[in-house]
This record gives sequence, structure tokens and C-alpha cells, in this order.
Amino acid sequence: MNCLQRAWRSVMRKPIKSILLLLVMITVCLFLLCGMACRNADVQTQDTARQAIGAGLRLDANEKNRSKRLTECSEKIGEGQEGSYGGVHQKKLKTAYGAQWMVWCDNSFDCLQISDIEKLADVPGISDYNISTCMTAVNPVGFDRIEDPDLDQTSDMGGVVLIGNRKMELDSNVLSGNVTLKEGRMVTEKDRDVCVISEQLADQDHLAVGDQIGFNDYHDPEGSQVRKAAVIGIYQTKQMMSPLMAGDTFRSENIIFTDLRFPEKAEGSENDPCYEHAYFQVGDVDGYDAVKAAVSAVDIDWERYDLIDRNGNMSTMSSNFSDLEKISALLILITFAAGFIILFLIFVFWTKNRNYEIGILLSLGYKKRNVLGQLFAEAFITAFLAFAISFPLAPAASKAAADHLVSAQVEQEELEKNMDADKVAYSTVQSEQTVVGVEAGITKEMFLICGAGMVMLTAVSIGTAGIGILKKNPKDILSELV
Amino acid sequence: MILEAKNVSYFYKSQKDKWILENVNYGFEPGKMYALLGPSGSGKTTLLSLLAGLDIPTKGEILYDGKPIAARDLTEHRKHHISLVFQSYNLIDYLTVAENVKLGGRKAPEPILDKMGIGKEYWKRNVLQLSGGQQQRVAIARALASDANVLLADEPTGNLDEATAWDVIDLLKKIAHEEGKCVIVVTHSKELADSADIAIRMDQF
Repeated sequence: MNCLQRAWRSVMRKPIKSILLLLVMITVCLFLLCGMACRNADVQTQDTARQAIGAGLRLDANEKNRSKRLTECSEKIGEGQEGSYGGVHQKKLKTAYGAQWMVWCDNSFDCLQISDIEKLADVPGISDYNISTCMTAVNPVGFDRIEDPDLDQTSDMGGVVLIGNRKMELDSNVLSGNVTLKEGRMVTEKDRDVCVISEQLADQDHLAVGDQIGFNDYHDPEGSQVRKAAVIGIYQTKQMMSPLMAGDTFRSENIIFTDLRFPEKAEGSENDPCYEHAYFQVGDVDGYDAVKAAVSAVDIDWERYDLIDRNGNMSTMSSNFSDLEKISALLILITFAAGFIILFLIFVFWTKNRNYEIGILLSLGYKKRNVLGQLFAEAFITAFLAFAISFPLAPAASKAAADHLVSAQVEQEELEKNMDADKVAYSTVQSEQTVVGVEAGITKEMFLICGAGMVMLTAVSIGTAGIGILKKNPKDILSELV
Repeated sequence: MILEAKNVSYFYKSQKDKWILENVNYGFEPGKMYALLGPSGSGKTTLLSLLAGLDIPTKGEILYDGKPIAARDLTEHRKHHISLVFQSYNLIDYLTVAENVKLGGRKAPEPILDKMGIGKEYWKRNVLQLSGGQQQRVAIARALASDANVLLADEPTGNLDEATAWDVIDLLKKIAHEEGKCVIVVTHSKELADSADIAIRMDQF
């Protein structure tokens, strides 16, 4: 009777011993597969998250360069001289306290250069782009703005704020998920003289999509030309948009999104737009770095601009799920280590308990390697059965493990956010990305790796435990029998 | 002589000042049943394990067919020249009667079991379902399944009642006389020693 025949009979006819070993091996197998599936789920979730959030580059004016240009323009006008140069104006004012110099800039000085924006938008990899104007305060005509009755309005300009967009869906407030449409549609590049108002404003003034509302220059509300805009949408916010400055003019509910060129018309400076930000959407987020490099290589006056990564949310998500990847890797390592220790101890106990049987076989002239071969065969039969049972169980177990790990990660993140709530101020509205599901598929490769891992683990465990048999003198074993 | 102890001395490594066996010389012939008698600690079982090739003498040598067994692989000696029967039967508990016999060698188990008086209805049963006497018969059948010329038995009747013990003794005698094997039995039993062809008292060495 060879060692395989004996091994098979031993496994089948000693069911309690076999089932216990089988359960341990199934557990090890499932933990290994879960660990691998979670690592894979991590990547899938990360990629999905990146695609969902999107990524892009924001072009802003460089503040240092602005100061430098302002100084240069002032020098051109001349010290102690009144005049204008490059959008900078100097004027001597007579006040009760004596002569004072007033320096101000018009839109042309602060505006991002449209030619530069268009050059950047042509870079391969940029799928779309948006231009947003600065917050432009204007006087509401034919409707009332929202006001706090308890607030002193004497120092407020009494207006509302317009933000012009080439494509409103790429506005930072919309991209962050804070602003969503309640009714109607968003502004597109083809729209002219249209606006999207807040739900609070619509409720208060009984405004609906299709209505027309007017605006004019708040400096001269009686005399300046009124520009009409059709309401094409009503938006809602998850939380109030941060005001640019104090006063009800800049309060979140009074912010009105318009087409790109409307704010300049409403404030009475037609053809003198003030483009404050440009946003370039990267089509394939995986090629983000390459697109960014290509954009940076475009020949424009970069001193004037800051190119800002708009993938902060993506990085946050990635770092969260990188933690999950680390946990998954740790799970695999711990499973291997714990699996080895548990299996080693089981096999040591096993061989010790089988001294009697080993002694009989040695007394009958069986070689040590034949006896050890039987133990190997028994372990591998059990490992194979464990592997076969793990096959159908693994997908469900992996899904449960991945779900658990991801929800633990999300909970942890939420906890940290709550702890930081009163300590950290954000300049922009934070997006709220919810993980709705985790894919934790088991692939063929995982089964192969797990199979190889189990073979290795079993071989090393029983090999280490079996050294005891190889070292033993037959008489030491048989002395208990003879 | 098929098996011979030549100037064999032995002490346990832990008790170097105490010789268990000292200068033992004895030859065993095929076709005879020998009984090794003696008080506990006289070295009966030690001599048996040396003859079986489970251990090697401190001094002297064991010869099989005139050749020292230490010169060969002891495992091969146990496999081809020696069959062992133990007091506690030493059957493997997850194998059937027939399978346990198969472990002993290449001979078909059925005729041997038949000869040992184990009915066909028992052949596929687990050995633990058999009585002590039946288990010892299976152990002897396993010893006979090999082609070994020497059968060594350590207290084969120690765990059996009187009637069964006589059955086993008769069986061993038959094996010696009818099959021409050399049967060496370690025993405390005077009856068994008396029924052996040659009784050897260990204190005579």
C-alpha cells in the first residue's frame, strides 16, 4: 500500500481531524483571497473615483505678478501725475483731510488673457474648458434680493452678485458638488443674456424658469442701462457658498450665474470683461500628469499666471484608498504568517500524535521519506479540498470584507473630518463623495496565486514539522512500541 | 543459522555503567520456535530490537544469513528479513483488516487471513471492531504477508486470555514448523516457553 493510498484513507476515515484541518485551511484560503480581492477592489474604486470626480487645471492670475505690473503701470503714468496706463488709473481726490491719491484698476488689468486661455484649451488631452468671471456686484431691477432684516445695510452696495461662466457645469461650485440644479438647465457657451438663480431668490420673488429679470450698475441705479436676462435655471446648494466679502450683496442666495459676457454688460462695462479663472478639464484622468506637462509647455507669459491642480479631492480619495491597499497587503502578510504558525503547530501536534502509526510503519520497513510523503499527501489532499470549497465562497466573502474595510475607511475619514471641523477652514467648498459600492472580484490570477500560496504554506509548514520525524531514530519511536 | 548474535553487548547511552547485554552469542535456525525468557530488565526486548535491526549493538554484531546487518540498510533488513508482532497488536486504526495485512507485504491478504481463521465478514471491517485475539491474529497475518524468514514477537499473548493465547501460540508454532520460518518470541509465560522448540533464559548469557 503506497503513501497516497494510505493518505487518502487517513483523510477520509478520520473525519474530525480532517474537518478541523480543512476549516483552518479554508479560513487561510479565504483570508488570502479576501486580501487580494480588497487590494484589487481598492484600485477599481480609486480609478472609478478619479473618473467620477474628474481632474483639471485651473488658471488664476499670479498675485505677485499683479503687484509688479501695478507698480510698472504707476511708474509709466508718473509719480504725482493723474492718468491711465494699461488698465491702471491714478486720480488725485480732494477730501476734507486734504489731497489723496486714488489708484484703481479696470477689468482689462485683472482679466485673464483670452488668447492665452484659448492656447491652453487647444492642448491635446484637454477635453473642455470654462472661463469664470470675477464676482460682479450689480443692482437688481424688477426683483428683490435676499436681505437679513437685522443687518445694517448702510455700508452695503445693495446689489446682487453675478458670476459669468462659459460653461456653468465646469464652474468650481458645480464641480465640487455644492451647486446642483433644481430646475431648468445650466448656462452653456452658446447662451446669451441668461441666468441661473438660487431657489431662495426664486421663492422670495416668485420667479420661475422663463421669467426675465434685470440688472444695472449699482453705482448709478437710476441712470444706468438695465440689462435683462432670462432665468433658465434654478439652483440649490448643499451648503452656503463662501461670500467674497461682508454684506448681503455677496451672500450665497444672491449669487446669480450668468453667461460669460453678461456681468460686464450689467455693470456697464461692455467689452471689458473680467475673467478671473479658467478651468481646463483633463479628458483621461490617468494621463493627468502628461497633460499638465503639455499645458505647462505652452508658450504664454507664465509669470502672469498660476496653474493650479484641481485634483485635491482625487488625492484625498486616493490617499484614503491607499490606506485600504496597505491594510489589504497587511492582511495578506498576516494571513501568511498566522497561517504558517497555525498550520505548523497543527502538523507538529499531528505528527506527535501519530508517533504510534509512524513507529508501526517504520517497524514494517517503510522508509522515513515514505512516511513523510504520506503526511505531505494528506496535507495536500486537505489543502486541495479547502481550495475547492473556497472557490464558490470567495466572491461573497471578499465582497463582505471589502465592503467592511471601505466603510471602516469612510467612517474613519468622517470621524477625522468631524474632529477637525472647528479647527480647519477650507477656502473652497469640500466635495462630498460617497462610496456607493465596492467591486471585489476574484480573478483567475488570484486563484492561481492563492493556490500557489497554499501549496507553499502547506509544504513549508509540514516540511518544518516533519523535520522531527527525519531527525528521530527509529528506535526512539519504536521503543514505545517494542 | 539464519540469524546470529555475535559477541553482542549493549548499554543505553543514559546508563553507560550498566550493561543490558554483555557478550551474547547465539544462533537461530529456521523452522524452529524460540522463546526468550527472563525477568524484567534482563534484556529480552533489547535483544529482540537488535535482532530486528531497530537499533545497533554497542559491541559485536548481528548476522543475517552470515552477513552483518549493519553493513546493509537496516530499513531494508526490517522490510525483507524480519516480521514483527507486538504485544499491543499495533494495527493502524483507520485501515480495514485486509488493508492492515496489505501493509506487511505484497502477498494477497485474503488467503493469509483465511489461514489465520479470520472470517471473510471481518476483512472489510475496521480493525478496532475486532476482539483482542482477532486483532493479534491480524497482526500475525500482517507479519506473514511479507517474505521475511524471521518472525519476532514481543509478548504476543500478553494481552490475551488463556484460550486465545493458546491459539496464538499454536499459530506461531505452525508458522515455524509448516512454513519453515524462524520464530523468536519474547515472553514471561512459562507455558509458552514450554511449548517452544527452544527456550532461552536471558540469565544464561
